[in-house]
Amino acid sequence: MKRTLLLTVVLVFASMLLAESITVIGPWSGDEEESFKPVLQAFEEKTGITVNYRINRAEDLANVLPAQFNARRAPGDVIFMWPHFITANPQHAVELSDVVDTGLYEPATLRSVMVGDELYGTAYTAKPKPGFWYRKSFFEEHGLSEPDTWDEFVALLEEISEIPGIRRPIASGNGVGWPLSDITEHFLITFGGPELQNDLIEGNISWESHIVRRPMEKLAGLLEAGYFSEPTEWTTILEQWWKGDYALYFMGFWIIGMVDDPDDLGVFTLPGARGVVSSVDYAFVPAYADNVEGAKKFIEFISSVEGQSVQVAQGGHFATVAGVPEDAYPPADREVARSIEGLEPVRDLDDTIGGAWQSAFWDQLKLLWVRPERLNSVLAELEARMP
Amino acid sequence: MLRRARLYHFGIFILPALTLMAIFVMYPTLRTVFLSFIGEDGSFTLSNYTEVLRSRDIFNPGGYEGEFPFGALIHNAMWIAIHLPITTFLGLFLATFLRNVKGGGIIKSIIFLGMVMPMIVGGIMIRFMFDGSVGVVNMVMGFFGMHTQTWTAYPETALFSLIFGSVWLWAGFSMILYSAGLETIPNMYYEAARIDGASRIKMFFKITIPLLKPITVVVVTMTLLWELKIFDIVYVATMGGPGGSSNVLALQMYLYGFREWNAEKAAVVAVLITLFTLVAAIPLIRSAGDEAE
Amino acid sequence: MRKKTFEKIAFSTIGWFIGLVWILPVMGILMTAIRPYSEVIDGWWRFDSFNPTFSNFINALTHPTASMLEGMVNSLIIAVPATILPLLLATIAGYGISRYKFPFRKSLVVAVVLTLALPQQMIAVPLFSIMSNLGLVDTYAALILVHTAWGIPWITFFMRNYFKTLPNDMEEAARIDGATDFQIFYRVVLPNAFPAIASASALQFTWVWSDFFLALILIYSPDRILATQRVPLMRGQYHVDWGLLSAASILVMIVPILIYIFLQRYYVRGMVGWSGK
Repeated sequence: MKRTLLLTVVLVFASMLLAESITVIGPWSGDEEESFKPVLQAFEEKTGITVNYRINRAEDLANVLPAQFNARRAPGDVIFMWPHFITANPQHAVELSDVVDTGLYEPATLRSVMVGDELYGTAYTAKPKPGFWYRKSFFEEHGLSEPDTWDEFVALLEEISEIPGIRRPIASGNGVGWPLSDITEHFLITFGGPELQNDLIEGNISWESHIVRRPMEKLAGLLEAGYFSEPTEWTTILEQWWKGDYALYFMGFWIIGMVDDPDDLGVFTLPGARGVVSSVDYAFVPAYADNVEGAKKFIEFISSVEGQSVQVAQGGHFATVAGVPEDAYPPADREVARSIEGLEPVRDLDDTIGGAWQSAFWDQLKLLWVRPERLNSVLAELEARMP
Repeated sequence: MLRRARLYHFGIFILPALTLMAIFVMYPTLRTVFLSFIGEDGSFTLSNYTEVLRSRDIFNPGGYEGEFPFGALIHNAMWIAIHLPITTFLGLFLATFLRNVKGGGIIKSIIFLGMVMPMIVGGIMIRFMFDGSVGVVNMVMGFFGMHTQTWTAYPETALFSLIFGSVWLWAGFSMILYSAGLETIPNMYYEAARIDGASRIKMFFKITIPLLKPITVVVVTMTLLWELKIFDIVYVATMGGPGGSSNVLALQMYLYGFREWNAEKAAVVAVLITLFTLVAAIPLIRSAGDEAE
Repeated sequence: MRKKTFEKIAFSTIGWFIGLVWILPVMGILMTAIRPYSEVIDGWWRFDSFNPTFSNFINALTHPTASMLEGMVNSLIIAVPATILPLLLATIAGYGISRYKFPFRKSLVVAVVLTLALPQQMIAVPLFSIMSNLGLVDTYAALILVHTAWGIPWITFFMRNYFKTLPNDMEEAARIDGATDFQIFYRVVLPNAFPAIASASALQFTWVWSDFFLALILIYSPDRILATQRVPLMRGQYHVDWGLLSAASILVMIVPILIYIFLQRYYVRGMVGWSGK
C-alpha cells in the first residue's frame, strides 16, 4: 500500500517535470474560443506539449507588452497580435524564418510580419470579408437579383428603396468602427484595385490623391443618396436586417454563424471587384518566452496544412497556407468560397496600419457616414494622421 | 525642545500620509510638468506646447466651415458655457421649488441618483437616452412628430447630447448643496420681510440668493472642476466622435498618452487642464489659506 | 384658502412631473435589462408583450469575456483596502494638522487643497512609468496605492475641518491624566469622529468603486479588470447588446446606490461638508 502511494507520488512528480507546456495568448473568447480549442487539442496530441490558453485583446496587450519587454519578461510563449506591432518590435521577438514553411504562403501574406528578409511572426487563418449579404428568400420574394455592373448595383438599391417596409437598402454596422471600415475598403479595392490598398498600407499614396478620391466619391455618393442606414450597433442592426428592415448588410465571413438559417444567405461583391479583404490573424514568439522551443513547435503547427485544416473545419475561417483540401471546409463555407473564387486576398487596411491611426480612421468614417459632403476634410484628416 | 516636539508630531501624524502623496501624487505631477517641456532630443523646449496648441485636435476655432469639430479646448469651453449656468440655476430652482412639494425628499433622491452612479454608467445612460431606436429622447420627440435620430452619431449634435445628458447627471449636486444651504437661513428673515409686505419673488432675490452666496461659490467651483475633468462619459458614449466632434481635453490626453504613446504631448494637455482647474479653484484655495492662518 | 390648496396641488404636480422626467432614463435601462431584447428593439416603452426575465443579468454576470461577477469581486478587492488605508492615514494626518503646530502648516493645507483641484490626467503618464519600473503594472497593489495616495488629501482636509469643530477639552483632560498622543487619539478622538469617518468612508468607497480612468491605465488582464472597465467591453468590438449593457450598468451602479440609501445621512453630509467648508 505504502509502496503504491510512493510510486504514484514519484510518477506524478516525474510527469510534472517531464510534461512540457506553453502559454498561448489570443483574443478569442466564447464561440470563437470554442472553435480554436480543437486546434490546441490536436497540437497537444501531436506533440505532448500542454497548452494553456489565455484571452487578451490586442489593444490591451499593446499597453502591457512594452513595459514587460523592457523588463525582459513576456506574459506568454505564443502571442496573437497585430502585425504592425510585431514588426515594430523585432528586437523582442524570436526570428521564425527557419520555423515557418514560407513556400506554403502567398508572399504578400507574410510580408506584414517581415523586417527585411527576416520573418518575426506567422500568419494563421484568414477571415474574408466577401461583400454584401442578403437573404435569398427576400430577393426571391421581391424578384431581385445580384448585380453584374455598377449601374445594376445602383438600380438594385433604387429598386430596394421602393419596397414597402424597407428603411434603407443597406444596413451600416456601428461599434468601435470596423464594420464601416470594411465597406470602405471594399470600395477602395473594387475601384482602385488590390494594389491601391497595398499602396495605402505602405504609405506610397496620398489619401488625397485622385486614385483614392474616385472610389471614396462613389461611396460618398451612395451615402448622400441615402442608400445606407445611420450607423447602428452592429449586432442590433444584424437582427433588424434579418427581419427585413434592410436588404443588404456588408459583413465578414463570420455572419454565417450568427444567423438563424445560414442556407438562406447569399452574398455578392461590388461588380468588378478583383480582390477581397481577408483579415489574417498573426502570432509571434516573444524573445523572453519561457519555452521558446515549444513555442516554435506551436508556430510550426499553426503554419501547416495539418493545423489549419483543423481550424477551417470549425467554419468561419480560410486557410492561408496552400494545400488545405476543399472537403476540410463545412458546406456553407464552401459555397461562400466559390463566390469569391479567383479574387485576390488583400490585407486588412486599418488592422495592418493600426495604432492611433486606426481609431482616427474609424472615427472619421463615422463622420463620413452621417456627413458625406465632408469627404474632402475626411480625406485630409486621414492623410495628416498617417504614421 | 519645542522644535523637537513639533518634528515628532510631524513625523507620526503627517509623514506617513505625506510620503504616499509625495510618491504617487506630487512627484508624478512635477514630472508631468517637466515632461511637457522636454523635446525629442531631451533638451528644454516650448515646442510641445506650440505643437499641441496648433493641433486641430485641441484648438480649431474655425471648425470645419463653421461646424464641429472645434477642438477639445473649445469643446470643454462650450461644456462650461452651457452646463455651468444651467446646472447651477436648475439646482437652485429645484432646491427652492421642491421644498414646497409633498414628497419633495423622494424627488430629490431621484434627481440625486445621477450623482451617485459611476460616471461610466452615466455615459451609457446618455448614449442610451439619445439612441435612434431605443432612446427616450426620441420617444418624446416622436410623440410630438419631430425628427428622430441617434443624436450622438451626428457632428452637430454629439457634443450637445453629452452636455445636456450631463446636466441630467449633475443637477443633483447643486440641488443638494442649495437644499442644505436653504435650511440654514433663519425663518425670521422671511417673517420680517413678509410683515414688510415683500412678495415671494422679491424675498427670493433679496434674501435667499445673497445668503446662499457662499454655497454658490462652492457649487460653481466644484462644477467647473467636474466639467474640466470630464472623461468617462465621453469615453463610453462617443469616444470623442464622430470625427472628433465631441472630443474633450481629458480624452485627448488619454489618446496622446496611452494610444499614441506620446508622453510629451500628453503631458502638455494634462498641464493645460491643470492650469484651468487651478484657476477655477482659486476661491477654494484662498479660503483654505485664510482659514489656516 | 382655496387658492392655497390649488397652488399646493399645482406645485406637487409639477414637482412629481419633474421627478418622472428625471427617472425616465433609469427606467429605460431597467426595462431594457429585464426584458428580452426583441421586445424593446423598437422602444422599451412599448408593452405589446411583456415578459420580464433575469436572463440579461445572469448573462452579464457570467459573460465569457467580461463577467460582471468577476468584475464586481475585483472591484471589491480594490475598494475595501483603498478605503480603509487612506482613511487611517488621513484621519491621523487631519488630526495632526488641526491640533499641533509645525513648520509649513499653512502651506501644507494649501497644498492639500491644490491636490483637490488636480485632474488624474496630471499624474497618469509618470504613474504608469513608476508602476512599470516597480513591476506593478496590471496588479491590484498599484491601484490600491494610487487610490490611497489620491484619497489622502481630501480626506485629510475633510477630517481636519471636522476636528476643528470638536472641542479640545476632553483631550486636554486626558493629557493631564498622562495619556500619550496616540492614546488620546485612539481613546478620545476616534470615537467622537465616527460620523465624519462614516461620511468619508462612504464617499471614498463610492469614488474608488466608480473610478474608471486609473483602472483603465493600470489594469489590463481580462480576468483582473474591474467592474467599471467591463461595462464598455459589453459594447466592445465584437459584441453590442443593449440588454446586457443595461444589466451590467445596473449591476455596477447598484453598489454605490445601496451605500447612498443606507448611509444617506452620512453621504449627503459628507458631500456638503467636504465641498462646503
